[in-house]
Amino acid sequence: MSVSRTLHQHRVPFLSMIAVAAAVLAGCGGSSAPSGGSTASGGSTAGSSSGKGPIVIGTSLSLTGDFSADGQAFKNGYEFWASQVNAHGGLLGRQVQIKILNDNSSPSQVVTNYQTLINTDHVALTLGPFSSLLTAPAAAVAHRYGYAFVEGAGGAPVVFAQKLNNVFDVSLPVANELDPFTAWVQSLPAGQRPATGAYPKADDPFAIPQVQRTQRLLQPMGVQTAYSKVFPEEVADYQAPADSVAHSQAQAVVLGSTDVPTVSAFMSTFEQQHYNPKIFIAAAGPDQGSAFTSAVGMKNANGMLVPDAWYPGSANPLSKEMVQAYVAKYGGNPSDINADVAEAYSVGEVVDQAVTHLNSLSNAKIISYLHSGVTLQSVQGPVKFNELGENLAATAFIFQWQNGKFVQVLPAGAAGSVKIEYPKPVWPS
Amino acid sequence: MTPSAVRQAAARAARPRRGPPGFSGLPARPLLIAAGVLAVVAAGVLFPVAFPSPVATTYGFDTLIFVACASAWNLFSGYSGYLSLGHAVFFGSGVYAVAVGAQDWHLTGTGVFGLLPLAAAVGGGIAIPLGLVALRVRRHTFVVITIAFFFIFQLMAFNLAFTGGTSGLVAPILNWSGATYNNPFYYAALLLAGATVAVSWLIRRARFGLHLRAIRDDEDRARGLGVPALRVKLAAFVVSGAITGLAGGLWYYFIGAAAPQSAFDPLFDLSLALMAFFGGLGTVAGPVLGALVLEPAQQWLTARFTSNYLSEILLGVLFLVVIIFMPRGVLPTASERLARWRAAWRRRREPGAETRP
Amino acid sequence: MASQIYPAIADGILVGGVYALMAVGLTLIFGVLDIINVAQGILVVIGGYLSYVLSVHLHIDLFLGLLITVPVMFGLGLVIHTVVIRPLRGSERTSMSLLACFAVAIIGEGVLYAVFGADVVTLHASYTQSSFQIAGYYITDIYLYCFLLALALVAVIYLLLYRTRFGRSVRATMQDPVAARLVGININRVAALTFGLGVAVTAAGGMAFGATSGGFNPNSGYDLISRLLAIVILGGLGSIGGALVAAVFMITLESVVDIWSPSWAVAVFYVALVVVLTVRPAGLFGRAAVRAQ
Repeated sequence: MSVSRTLHQHRVPFLSMIAVAAAVLAGCGGSSAPSGGSTASGGSTAGSSSGKGPIVIGTSLSLTGDFSADGQAFKNGYEFWASQVNAHGGLLGRQVQIKILNDNSSPSQVVTNYQTLINTDHVALTLGPFSSLLTAPAAAVAHRYGYAFVEGAGGAPVVFAQKLNNVFDVSLPVANELDPFTAWVQSLPAGQRPATGAYPKADDPFAIPQVQRTQRLLQPMGVQTAYSKVFPEEVADYQAPADSVAHSQAQAVVLGSTDVPTVSAFMSTFEQQHYNPKIFIAAAGPDQGSAFTSAVGMKNANGMLVPDAWYPGSANPLSKEMVQAYVAKYGGNPSDINADVAEAYSVGEVVDQAVTHLNSLSNAKIISYLHSGVTLQSVQGPVKFNELGENLAATAFIFQWQNGKFVQVLPAGAAGSVKIEYPKPVWPS
Repeated sequence: MTPSAVRQAAARAARPRRGPPGFSGLPARPLLIAAGVLAVVAAGVLFPVAFPSPVATTYGFDTLIFVACASAWNLFSGYSGYLSLGHAVFFGSGVYAVAVGAQDWHLTGTGVFGLLPLAAAVGGGIAIPLGLVALRVRRHTFVVITIAFFFIFQLMAFNLAFTGGTSGLVAPILNWSGATYNNPFYYAALLLAGATVAVSWLIRRARFGLHLRAIRDDEDRARGLGVPALRVKLAAFVVSGAITGLAGGLWYYFIGAAAPQSAFDPLFDLSLALMAFFGGLGTVAGPVLGALVLEPAQQWLTARFTSNYLSEILLGVLFLVVIIFMPRGVLPTASERLARWRAAWRRRREPGAETRP
Repeated sequence: MASQIYPAIADGILVGGVYALMAVGLTLIFGVLDIINVAQGILVVIGGYLSYVLSVHLHIDLFLGLLITVPVMFGLGLVIHTVVIRPLRGSERTSMSLLACFAVAIIGEGVLYAVFGADVVTLHASYTQSSFQIAGYYITDIYLYCFLLALALVAVIYLLLYRTRFGRSVRATMQDPVAARLVGININRVAALTFGLGVAVTAAGGMAFGATSGGFNPNSGYDLISRLLAIVILGGLGSIGGALVAAVFMITLESVVDIWSPSWAVAVFYVALVVVLTVRPAGLFGRAAVRAQ
């Protein structure tokens, strides 16, 4: 083997490596100008807390990947909120710009994104991502740099386990979603309560806590557990757990679902097996408006119960205003507005109220203000944080499909509630 | 051409290609290579000084983790020819080893770093039973069995109670200042990456590496020649697993959260394969180049590509292009091209003289 | 609980037939081309989406639509073979083709996401909801129809392999490519046509999968390919009968275990694979490793 040939074999790798390494790392590390993102920020990174330029608020959302459907809805919510604020004179007199980076539902990407937003783009404020799995690592990054972290989609215990003082979840803790339902069962005379209950749960932090809690509360009321299992969420094949539930002939089914396909699959199987539970409540799915009814058929939807912190027809005046403005801006039907939009909007509202009250963008002040026990208002209802950052003033409602309409039924006496249909009508053949 | 030149050329043409070039054989100019290595190491050490922004060190950390993991993957799969698509098993096990350890033994602060050797031990330890089962089958089957292991482990992470199930676990908070928080992690990753490349190089030079390459080229013949194939493969598998486990543990503490989908991520394995392939499968520097180029690019693009899964399509196309047009990877192909170009240039400069590439 | 086992076994066998259909293409491609087509999962999903488009937008019946989707997928298979597989040469062919197929799978998934989005879709027909009763249990009509379709198609493939000249060339190439070439078989053509056939079969597999799975989206390819790989390896690479037996066995086992624990049911698949391979590294019906790697 000749000398120079061996040389090439060794020289090329090293030199090219050095060159590439230097170029790549310099390219992404040294840049201080914001690039890309989903808003045009025209020039300087004027997200600083002082000055007259626009206020840049940064967030990372799952625009691709596992959580992409919700991530996109959150994007709509945040951007809509910003446009509303700007239409009403802006925040502290300045225009609001939302800068969104995509995290592809990945925890390591979400960390990189918030690092970028905070240390390269120098955003004034940060808003939370979607899902507890991403909120936990992201909140830690924000905490390190003293940023308040208001979010609406991270309520699992892991988010609060680190006891970070900058985390504020505006949405109702997942575990309490079905409380009005259990209260209603309690209100029934013993003879009318369902004798048996089935509790199938998708393996997801948004589907297990509330169903488990309900099971625990219903047991002493005389509702025997006929079935209680966790099924994996990955595969869209829910035939087997659905068959097992049908086989159990439980009178009440409390399904821990996170999306329409899960509920639709269970309903399908129940229909095929000619199994008619007296109560069928799902954690999520029936609250998706037309996405739900077109998937299962309007006739089948009747009688289905679902918890919802918000729905387009909500009587809350802030919500009505938002729905009107949303439809005016984007067109379409109020009933098509995704609940995630309201969640994201609420996050913005809380930030808005804090900043306006303090007349300052100081994150430290915002954090102590939000921990001061003050009650703020949002389209999802009142917001008041405990020391962990959970919103215990959040309200829970139960809705039901009746005659093709999505109506509020529980709490029974609350404003806007109609009579609950019980037992659930049998499947139309 | 003189007769001796003809003979030399014929001899060169007849010599069979023995696989991609690497840092194999005795370097003719050790000084140049040493200088090159030193330059790269110096660049790595000085990088956080030159670019102090935490964003740069975040990219740096993530990239170095992949340098280590891709090199570790390559020193098993690249050298032996057994493509493993289940290395995420080691990574995830390292993640959970540190996560569960920190939680159960109530460790905080720098104490958690003490769990890193445990992560390596878990990674390497798991490789033994897995290897004993998987390394007895043909290469095609081996790939599938590694995929099966991957799914089994991911499922265990979902279902077993001590892993925190689908919500996962979070790490104790490190109260370091934000401006320099990343630096210790970065240097730890740099150390790991450097050590891995060194190990990879040493293996390649040693008889161990020769055994592995013999297995890759023709396992039956290697066995016939007395290579203890199973033991050799298993040893490489264990080393690879231990390094990957350590990387996982370190990564966990940096990110601060562990969940089944992120600790056991199918795209992790594909990324390792792509990086090693891109740079040059079976070479020492190949996976390093692959990681240095692909990881920052992937992160940067993901943050800004927000729709239509364009990034996924581009990734696949890049993969295909690399495989079809540069099947041996960037480095060996570039090396070859350069060598051929130099030969042509020299031929033009000295017509009639002996052709030497 | 015990009375649930029989329906679970029945469902398992029926769905197992569907998986057998999907696995047959995979094992055939391996047998002739010596490559593992890991894009098979996404190809099934593509088949499902094709049926979806025909059914929802053109209102063509699912089974009739196969007359269109099968030839289309055959063509797609030929294209993939020519563009991706043929150019691969050299000693690293096995690993390269594996990764090349992965690349195709990634591209396919990305394209599906771009065109259809991430929403889960299902294949609907009048017979996907109706069920008939047997021994006190209800079986959905579509399961039975798809099972029959799977049987029919596997029979067709068998006939093709054992009763036609083309089939003879295929079997010859599987047994010994060099000898096959020596007797004048154009193995490149055989390879291309076999690949096309393997993909064409997945059109039917895709429809059957879409109709019996309860819903799919572009992401379904991952889980599907891992199951198909497990089935094909368990049955023995290159053995069609083995793929059939393995598919029915694994799916039925999973279906039964699902009664006790839905969370662990999927693991059964892979654990069974690992157990069998430890005892019989070539799979149930696989040929012992003869070919140099």
